[in-house]
Amino acid sequence: MTSLGGSSSSTTEYTVRVPKNTSKRYNIMAFNAGDRVNCSTWTQARMERDMSARRIYGDDESAEGAGGSEFGKKQRDEARRRKYGIITKEFKAEDQPWILKVNGKGGKRFKGLRKGGVTENASYYIFTQCPDGAFEAFPVNGWYNFTPQAKHRTLTAEEAEEEWGRRNKVVNHFSIMLQKRFREQERGGDDEDESEKTGKKKKNIGRGGELHITDLEDDLMMSSDNSDSSMGEDADGKSKAKKNVGKGKKKKRKSNDKEAVEESDDGDYEGLEVDYMSDESSSDEEPEKGKPSKTEEHLKGIDEASESEEESEEEKPNEEEAKEEEEEEEGKKTPVQTEKKKKKDSSGESESSDDSDIEGETASALFMMQKKRTPPKRPSGRGSAGSSKTGSRPGTPSIDSATTSNTLRAAASKLEQGKRQNQGPTESPAAKRLKMDPSSQSPAPSGKSTPQPPSGKSTPSSSDVQLTEEAVRRYLIRKPMTTKDLLKKFQTKRTGLSSEQTVNVLAQILKRLNPERKIINDKMHFYLTE
Amino acid sequence: MRETMSEVNLNGVKQNKGVWLVKIPKYLSQQWEKATEKGEVGTITIGKKQGKTEVRFSLSEELTARGATGESDASLQVPRHHPLTMHTVKGQTMAVFSQTESEISLEGMVVHRAECRAVASDNYMKLKKLQIQESIKPQRFSQQLEKAVTHVFKPVANHSFNVAYQKKKKTEGKMVRAERQVVLDMLFSAFEKHHYYNIKDLVEITKQPVTYLKEIIREIGTYNSKGKHKNTWKLKREYRNYESEEEKDEEEMQTV
Repeated sequence: MTSLGGSSSSTTEYTVRVPKNTSKRYNIMAFNAGDRVNCSTWTQARMERDMSARRIYGDDESAEGAGGSEFGKKQRDEARRRKYGIITKEFKAEDQPWILKVNGKGGKRFKGLRKGGVTENASYYIFTQCPDGAFEAFPVNGWYNFTPQAKHRTLTAEEAEEEWGRRNKVVNHFSIMLQKRFREQERGGDDEDESEKTGKKKKNIGRGGELHITDLEDDLMMSSDNSDSSMGEDADGKSKAKKNVGKGKKKKRKSNDKEAVEESDDGDYEGLEVDYMSDESSSDEEPEKGKPSKTEEHLKGIDEASESEEESEEEKPNEEEAKEEEEEEEGKKTPVQTEKKKKKDSSGESESSDDSDIEGETASALFMMQKKRTPPKRPSGRGSAGSSKTGSRPGTPSIDSATTSNTLRAAASKLEQGKRQNQGPTESPAAKRLKMDPSSQSPAPSGKSTPQPPSGKSTPSSSDVQLTEEAVRRYLIRKPMTTKDLLKKFQTKRTGLSSEQTVNVLAQILKRLNPERKIINDKMHFYLTE
Repeated sequence: MRETMSEVNLNGVKQNKGVWLVKIPKYLSQQWEKATEKGEVGTITIGKKQGKTEVRFSLSEELTARGATGESDASLQVPRHHPLTMHTVKGQTMAVFSQTESEISLEGMVVHRAECRAVASDNYMKLKKLQIQESIKPQRFSQQLEKAVTHVFKPVANHSFNVAYQKKKKTEGKMVRAERQVVLDMLFSAFEKHHYYNIKDLVEITKQPVTYLKEIIREIGTYNSKGKHKNTWKLKREYRNYESEEEKDEEEMQTV
C-alpha cells in the first residue's frame, strides 16, 4: 500500500475477492477490552464445545433396552408431549458455548457464548490482505463473546447473602473463603473421623472469623429474652467495639429457634451504640488457618510453642482493650478479664468458649462430637451450672461430662496436661474435673436460692473472671438477670471455683447487694438501678 | 462434531496478522453470492483526500444487476459505490478463528472495523423501497375461500372406522389361551428386552386374554403402583438376572 506524498489525494486500488469454495467457517472471538487479552502472548490454546447443556435439554440418553427401561416409553413420552403441546427446543451443537483454555493447565480459561442476531440484518465479512495485495473477504459465521472464568473460589448467591447479613460482625474477611474451602473438603472427606473432627471443628469455627463484639448478642439469648425492654436498656450510649483485624474469633452462633426473631438482620443494628464489653474480649489468637491442619495431629498433645504464642497474643489485646475501655461507665476492666462466652440456643446445649486456641478448638471439637451425639439426653437446666472443665482463659469448653467417652476423656486429659504445664497450678487434670462434675451437678441447682454459709471462698488464681460483687453488680445494673444467667456468666472453669462454690459465693453476693426483684416470664429476675 | 479438546492453531496471531471486520448490507452480500468462481466482487479504493483517509468499495459491473442473470440494464440496479466508514477497535479485542471439520485455527486479530454504506442515489432508494415492501408483508394473512368448508356430520348408522374395527375383530377372533408354558416363555423373552411393561403392551405382545395373562404374570412378576415406572409390571427378583448397574442400585436401595 503506497501513497505518494506531493498531491493531496492519492489512491490505491485493491481487488476484493470472495472465495467460494472454502470449507472454513470463520467466527469472531470477541474479548472485553478490560480483560487485557493479548493473543500474541499465547503459547498454546485448546478449544472445545461446552456440551454440558445436552443432558439438561432433554434428549436424555437414558438407556434404551438396558436396565430400567420401559416398553414403549419413547412413544408414550412423545404422545404426551404432543398432547400437551410441549415444544422443547432442540439442542443445537452449533450454538453451544466454547471453552477456551490458554497456556495449558495453569493458564487462563475462557468461556465463549454465542451472540445472537448477528447475521440477521447485515452480514459481517473478514477482509484479509493477501500477499498479492488483493483483499479476500470471508463471511462471518458466528460471533462469540469470550469471558475469562474465575479460578478462585466464589461464593454462591445464598452464601453471599449470608455473609452480607453478617458483614457488621465479621471483620476477618479472609476467613470466609477459608471456611468454605474447609466445608467443601469436609464434604468430600476421605477419613470419616477426620472429617467429622474437622467438621465439628468447623462448626466451632462455624460462622467463621466472627468477632464476638459485644455481649449484646449474648443477652439476646438469655432467659428473659422476650422482653423488649432488655434490648432498650442495653442500647444506652455504648459504642461498638472494633477489634483487631486478622484475629478471627470462632463463635458458634445458632439462632434462637424458640423465639420468633426477626430474620433480616440487615441494618438492624446500625443505629445501636454499644460499648466495649468489659467482660468479654474477643482478643484472640491465631487465625484459624493454622488450626485445622494441626488439629488432627495434635489431638493428644499440643505444641507448646504454639501455646505460648497464643497466650502472649492474648496478653496484648487485653491491654489494648483496657486502654480503649477507659471511658466505660463500669470502668472496671482488668486485662485478665477476658471472659468469653458462647451461648448456644436456649435448648440448653452447653456453651463452649470461643477460644481459638488449638486446645480449645480441639477439645471443643471433640466434645462437640460428643455433644452432638447426645443432644436429646441433655436436660435443659444443666447448661449453666454444669461446666465440667476448669480452665483459665484458654479454657476448654464445658461439656456434658456424662456423655464423654473414655477415649475422649483420655485425650482431653492429655490436652489439659499439656496445657497445664504452662499455666497456673490450680488446674487439675480434666478427668478429675469431669468426675467431680456429675456429683456437683445435682446439688447446684437446688442450692441456688438458699444462702449457704461461706465455705471459705476460694480465691481463683490466674483466672480471668472474678466472681466479685463488682462484677455481679455490673451485670445486674445492665439488665435484669436470673440466677441461672448469672451463673452462666461466671463459669466455673473461668473462675476456678467449683460449681458449688460458685453458687455459694454468688448467693452471698446477692445477699449483700440486695437487688430488686422482678418476675419476667415466670422467672425471678434480679436487677439493680443506679 | 468436535468432541475432544482440539488444539488451536495459533499461526495467525503469532504472525500478527491483522484483519478488517466489515459490515456489509444484506443486498450487497446477496450480490456477492452471485459472483463467479474466481470470486472477484469489486475493488477497494483507499485514498487520502486532504489528509483524510477515504476507503471506498466499488462493486464490479457484472454484479450490479438484481435480476436473474447478469444483465446490466435490468429494472433494478444495485448501487456501485459504497464508502466504508472505518472505526478503531479500542474498546474491544477481537480475534478471528476459523473452524473446519478437523481443525480450529486462529486467523488473526481485528485491527479495524468498517461499515459499508451506500450512496443515497435514486437507485438505492428504489431498492430500499422494494425491500421494505417485501418485509412489511405479514406472514399470516387472510385468504378468501371459494367454497365454504363445512364439516357437517351426517348421521351414520355406523362409522366407517368402526366398521373396519369390527371386521378386524371378527377376523382375528377372540384371543386364544395358549399353553401356560408358552406364554411364560413369551413373557420372559419380552422382559429380556425391557424391564417394565404395561399390561396392555403385554396383551399385545402375547395375544392372550387379559385375565389369563394377569394370572400368569402375577406368578412371576410384580406391579409397580408408584415410583418411576408407574403402573407397570416387572419380573420378580428371583426371575431376574439382569446385569445392569441400575439393577444393582435398585437392589441395594431396597435392601437398605
